[in-house]
Amino acid sequence: MSAGPYNYSYIFKYIIIGDMGVGKSCLLHQFTEKKFMADCPHTIGVEFGTRIIEVSGQKIKLQIWDTAGQERFRAVTRSYYRGAAGALMVYDITRRSTYNHLSSWLTDTRNLTNPSTVIFLIGNKCDLEGQRDVTYEEASKFAEENGLMFVEASAKTGDNVEEAFLETAKKIYQSIQDGRLDLNAAESGVQHKPSQPGGRPGSAAGGDQSGRDNCAC
Amino acid sequence: MPPGKESEKDHVLSKRLGKILELRFENDQDTLDALSQLSTFYTNNTLHARRNLRSQIEKRNLDINKEFLASFLEVKKSFDTIYNEVADMSKSIADMTQRLQNTKTHTKQLLQQTNSLQDERNHNVVEQNIAETLLQKYQLTPENMNALQGNRKDQFMSFEIFSVLDKVQNIHNNCKVLMQTGLQTLASDIMEQMTLYQEGALERLYRWTQSHARNVESPELTDIITQAMARLQDRPVLFKYIMDEYCICRKGKLMEDFINALTRGGPSGNPAPIEMRSHDPQIYITDMLVWLNKAVLAEKQNLQLLLKLCDNIEKEEIITDSLAIICEGICQPLRARVEKVLGTSFPASVLYSVVNLLRYYNKCICKVVQKGQVVETLTTLKERCTLSFFDRLRANVEERLVRVEAPAPAKLAPTSAVQALLATLRDTLATANMSDGRETDMPNITGCVLEPLLRYATEQASRLPAADMAVYTLNCVRDALACLQMFEFTSARAERLTAQADAQLDTLVAEQAGALVHRLRLGPLYAILQEYSGSGTGEKKPLADVPGMEPSNLRAFLEKLDYFAASPDEALLPQIQLLTSTKHKKAVQKRAFEVLLAIYKQLYQAVNDPTNNYENPQAIFNKTPEELEKVLLK
Repeated sequence: MSAGPYNYSYIFKYIIIGDMGVGKSCLLHQFTEKKFMADCPHTIGVEFGTRIIEVSGQKIKLQIWDTAGQERFRAVTRSYYRGAAGALMVYDITRRSTYNHLSSWLTDTRNLTNPSTVIFLIGNKCDLEGQRDVTYEEASKFAEENGLMFVEASAKTGDNVEEAFLETAKKIYQSIQDGRLDLNAAESGVQHKPSQPGGRPGSAAGGDQSGRDNCAC
Repeated sequence: MPPGKESEKDHVLSKRLGKILELRFENDQDTLDALSQLSTFYTNNTLHARRNLRSQIEKRNLDINKEFLASFLEVKKSFDTIYNEVADMSKSIADMTQRLQNTKTHTKQLLQQTNSLQDERNHNVVEQNIAETLLQKYQLTPENMNALQGNRKDQFMSFEIFSVLDKVQNIHNNCKVLMQTGLQTLASDIMEQMTLYQEGALERLYRWTQSHARNVESPELTDIITQAMARLQDRPVLFKYIMDEYCICRKGKLMEDFINALTRGGPSGNPAPIEMRSHDPQIYITDMLVWLNKAVLAEKQNLQLLLKLCDNIEKEEIITDSLAIICEGICQPLRARVEKVLGTSFPASVLYSVVNLLRYYNKCICKVVQKGQVVETLTTLKERCTLSFFDRLRANVEERLVRVEAPAPAKLAPTSAVQALLATLRDTLATANMSDGRETDMPNITGCVLEPLLRYATEQASRLPAADMAVYTLNCVRDALACLQMFEFTSARAERLTAQADAQLDTLVAEQAGALVHRLRLGPLYAILQEYSGSGTGEKKPLADVPGMEPSNLRAFLEKLDYFAASPDEALLPQIQLLTSTKHKKAVQKRAFEVLLAIYKQLYQAVNDPTNNYENPQAIFNKTPEELEKVLLK
C-alpha cells in the first residue's frame, strides 16, 4: 500500500542526524524538492521525505528520516536509527561546536545501527566560506580516521547535496552486491537479524531495506 | 233584185235572221248590260222616241265621252305633278352622288394618315415595353425605395428591405451584362446608383440594428435582427459597432438582473432575494453561482441567436470575446459577496464546501465563457477560498493542539485532542473524497492535519520513557493509518506512518528483547559467549572452563527459561499490552522471542560442541532450540 505508484527494486532507509540548526531539514528539502527552504522551523521529533533515485540501473526508493537536533527529542529520534541503511551525519562548517559534537553522534549511531550502515559526514553551509570555522582538512581527517565518507555541501546552493545522498546509496548497493548486507526476511521492509554475528541483544541490529515486493503491510 | 242576186240577198238575210233567232239574250251579258242601260232613258216606247233613239244614243255616247275626257284631264294633271317631283329627286340624288364622290376622295387620304400613325404607335409601344423592362430590371420601384430608405425616421423595419437589397445587388451584378452589350455609361451609372442605395440601406439597417439588437431574444424581432446581422457581417466596422453596443447593453442588463436577483428576488418576492440566505454560505453561494451559470448560458444562447445567420466571420471567437465583455459587470458584486463570506469565521468544513462549489461552477461557467474577467475572478475566488480553507483548517488544528496533554500512562491511548483531530480529518477527507479536486485536496488536507498532529504526538511521546513512547506513538500512528486507509490519494502519508510504525516496532522489540534478556539473566552469558567465539580459534580453554559458563550457572539460566516458557506472556512488558493493535502486539512478541531463540540456539550449539567439554549436554539443555521455538512461537 505504501509502495507508491512507481516501480522500484529497493527501499533504503536513511537517517539524518546532527546538532540543532546545522541544516538537516534543509538538506532533505533540497534533495527531495530541489529547493532551498529559508526560515526552516525547528523539527519536532522527526520529519520524513522520500525520493526515487537510480543506482547502477536499479530504481531505489529512499525513505529519509530527518531528526530533530534538539536534545529533548533524543529519545524519540533514537527509534529511527535502527533500520537505517544510511546515516547522514551533519555539522555546520561555520560553528565549531557542531563539529565537536560529532563523536557523540557517531557513538550513538554506531551503538544503534547495524555495523553495515553507511555513515556519511556532511559539512553543511559551505556557501558561507567567509564564516568558516572548521577546515576541510580537519573534518576530512576525522572522517578518514572513523571510516566515514565525507563531503562539504550547501543546502542553500544545492552543492554536493545530491552527491551525498547518491554516494551513500551507491555504497549501500555495493554492500548488497558484496553480500555484506543480508536481504532475506523482507517482510516489513526492516528486517531484524538477532542471530547475526555481532548483534547485541539490547539493540537488535537492523538490517534494513526491503525485498522486491517491499512493504506488504 | 236580180234573182241570182236575189237568192244571195236572201241568203245573207237568212243568215242574219238565223243569227238573230238563235240569239239568246239571257246568255249575252253585253246585251243585258246594254238593255239595262237603255232602260234608264228609254222610258216611252213611242214613234218619236223610236226615231230619236239613235240620236239619243249617240248624244248619250257623246256625253259619256265628254265626261271621260274631263276625268282624264284630272289624271293627267296628277301625272305632271309626279313627274316634277321625280325630276327633283333625281336632281338631289345626283347632287348627293357628287358629294359622295368628294367625300370618298377625302377619306382615302385620312386612311393613309391613320395607317402611318398606327405604325408609329406600334413602334412606340415596343419601345415603351423595352424601356419598361429595362426600368423594371435596372431600377427600383417606389415601394422598393420606400422599403429601402424608410419613409420617416420611423422605427419600423420590414423584411422587404432584405429582398430589395438582394434586388439591388442583383441589379448591380446584371450591370455586367449591360457592360458586355456595350452600354458602359448606363451600366456604370446604374452601378453607381445601386451602390449608393446599398450603402444607404445598410447604413439605415445598421442604425436600426444597433438600437434593437439588444432585444434579439424577443420573438418578433429575432428573425429580422438575425437577418440584419447577416447582412452587416460584411461591413466589419458597422458590425463591430453593433457588437460593442450590444455588449454594453447586455453587460448592464446582466449586472442589473444579478443585483435584482440578489436584493429583490423575482416578481412579488418569488423566488426570494438570494441575499436573504446569506447567513448560510453554502446555500448563498450556490444560489449565486446557479443564477450566474444560468444567466451566462442564456447570454451565450442570445449571442448565438444573434449571429445565427452570419457565416463569413469568426463566429466562435466573436461570441467568446463578447461573452467575456458581457460578463464583466457581474464580477465585482460576486467577488464582494464571496469575499465577505470568506471573511466571516465559518468552520473549515463550510469553507471546503464553498471551495467545491466554486470549483464546480468555475468549471461550468468557464466552459461557457472561456475567457475574460469573469474567468479570472472565479479562478481567483476559487484559489483564495482554497487558501482560506487551508488557513482555517490549520487554525482549527492549532487551536486544538495549543496545550500538550500527557497521555494516561495506564492506557497510552491517543489523547482526546488527537482523537478529535483524527475524527476531523476523517470527516474532511470523506467530504473531499467526493470532490473534484480530490487528487490534490486529499494529500493537502491530510498534510495540513496530520503534520501538526504527528508533531504534537511526538511532543507528547518525547516526555515518556522509551517503551511508553514507542507504544504511545504506535497507538497514534495506528489510528491515523486506520483513518487514511479508508481513502485514496493518501499513500504518501501512509508510507510515512508505516515507516514510523516500523521504527517504533523496532524500538519496542529492542526494549522487549532487552527486558527478556535481563529477566533471564542472559546478558552476562551472552557477553561471554560473544567474547569467546570472537577471540579466535587458537589455544583457548574449553568453554565449560570459562568462569560464568559453568554448567551450574547455565542450569540456573535454564530453570528461569523453563519457568518463562511455561507462561511466556507474563514476561512481556506491561506497555506491550497497551498496544491497541493485536497485530503489533504479536509482532513485537514474536520478534522479541526470536531474539531470545537466536541466543538460545547459539548457547545450545556451543554447549553441544564437544570441543567445549560439557559433560552430558542433554542434561543441561533439556530442550532443543526447535522445541523451545515451538513452545514460544506457538
